Amino acid sequence: MTNKGWNESADELNAIVASFDEGEVSVDELFAKLERATTIIEDLEQRLAATAAKVEELTPRLAKVTEDE
Amino acid sequence: MNEDESLERVVLNVGEFYELVTGHLEAAFGRRRPQWVRGEIAKVYEKSHLYLDLVDAGSASDTRRPVLNAHCWATAWGALKRRLAADGVTLAAGAVVNLRGYVDVYAPQGKIGFTITEVDVEGLLGDLAKRRQELIARLEREGLLTRNKELPVPVVPLRVGLVASPGTEGYRDFTGQLVRSGYAFDVAVVTTLVQGDGAPEQIVRALERLDAAHCDVICVVRGGGSKGDLACFDDEGVARAIALAQTPIFTGIGHTGDESVADLVAHTRAITPTKLGEELVLLVAQWHLRNVRQPAQALERFSNDLLEEASEYLRERRRTVVFAVRDRLRAEVRHLGTLRQRLVREGRQLVETETKWLASTRQLLSAYDPSRRLAQGWSIVTTRQGLLVRSLADVDEGSEIDVRVSDGVVAGVVTRKVAP
Repeated sequence: MTNKGWNESADELNAIVASFDEGEVSVDELFAKLERATTIIEDLEQRLAATAAKVEELTPRLAKVTEDE
Repeated sequence: MNEDESLERVVLNVGEFYELVTGHLEAAFGRRRPQWVRGEIAKVYEKSHLYLDLVDAGSASDTRRPVLNAHCWATAWGALKRRLAADGVTLAAGAVVNLRGYVDVYAPQGKIGFTITEVDVEGLLGDLAKRRQELIARLEREGLLTRNKELPVPVVPLRVGLVASPGTEGYRDFTGQLVRSGYAFDVAVVTTLVQGDGAPEQIVRALERLDAAHCDVICVVRGGGSKGDLACFDDEGVARAIALAQTPIFTGIGHTGDESVADLVAHTRAITPTKLGEELVLLVAQWHLRNVRQPAQALERFSNDLLEEASEYLRERRRTVVFAVRDRLRAEVRHLGTLRQRLVREGRQLVETETKWLASTRQLLSAYDPSRRLAQGWSIVTTRQGLLVRSLADVDEGSEIDVRVSDGVVAGVVTRKVAP
């Protein structure tokens, strides 16, 4: 996967979905675009899971700050 | 010598003289008969017994003023002193008092004195209250009641100057609140007396010292006690030191209901040392809440919301991609189906058209069918090699020819060629 940022990857994914919606995709391209969209989604999910894990790791520390003394 | 002269001639020794004086005094006042005396205290001395020099009020500067040497013996002074202290009364020079007691003569020192049995506390309290009100009025006229209150308190008052007596209950109550809060209070303590004659001067010096140390706030702390114990906080010097300080002064003096002049001029007044500690902790806690805890809570909420939003986005995109691809594939299948139908339809049409064309052509060609011509009597002449003979030039005399007729072939030889 490329080192694209979240928004950049999301833009590419949205563009692929839009091309599906608009019927611009030929059958020859369909597999390639589907594969690309799946790769982007999996990459974003991995990144999201990693971020969620980091948030989970930080949450107790944050909770320590927010809990009542 | 008359009788008066004979009396004058009576010579008394000193002891007899004092006996006579004592007798006359007791005759005049009655033996130990109570008598009220009012005067201004010129001098006070206490060593087990209490000794007062009493003068007429306002005559303190007159060297020829009458002085009454009053005293209260230790047996009576202990209880009286406790009662005065409970009422917040201190017998100090300058105070005008009504004393109850009786006249006595102390021959060893040649003094006519006054043994105190009671002090008019009501009168003293009235006097103290009057002087206190006068002080408050003076401070108000000079704008000193509100001066310290106008100073801003730092948003996180962690550097605390403390005027107190370590080891006292008030000190423990106050510092206990700070310690239990868990916040990093940095407390600079200047130890002072918090009651008694020496206390005001020490408190003033402590306030000046801490004021120069640039603390966030200075706290003056003293636990509960009698009015007399707390009298140092009604001292004018203490009040002025508080009012004129450049640092906000917080007080936590005595118990609920005690309000000293120090409390009146202070920036913030708490009813007890414990409450003062709580208020200080509350200030820091409020800042902590606003600037640390609430942002942290917001950050937690924000990150959770963002993660949830991103997860929902990906779930939706995944569904959309799957559906879009399915739709696209279905559309292609439909398209192919349509094409197939079209091809079948068009193929049939083509076959029909071609069939018609073939029939038509066949019909057209039938008009040129040689068998039909042969049946009509026409014949077709070809060379032996099968080439049509259309002209005299196509054959030579003597060459063999075939003449096709309707029912067979006539073989022949060209004998001659005749031009029409």
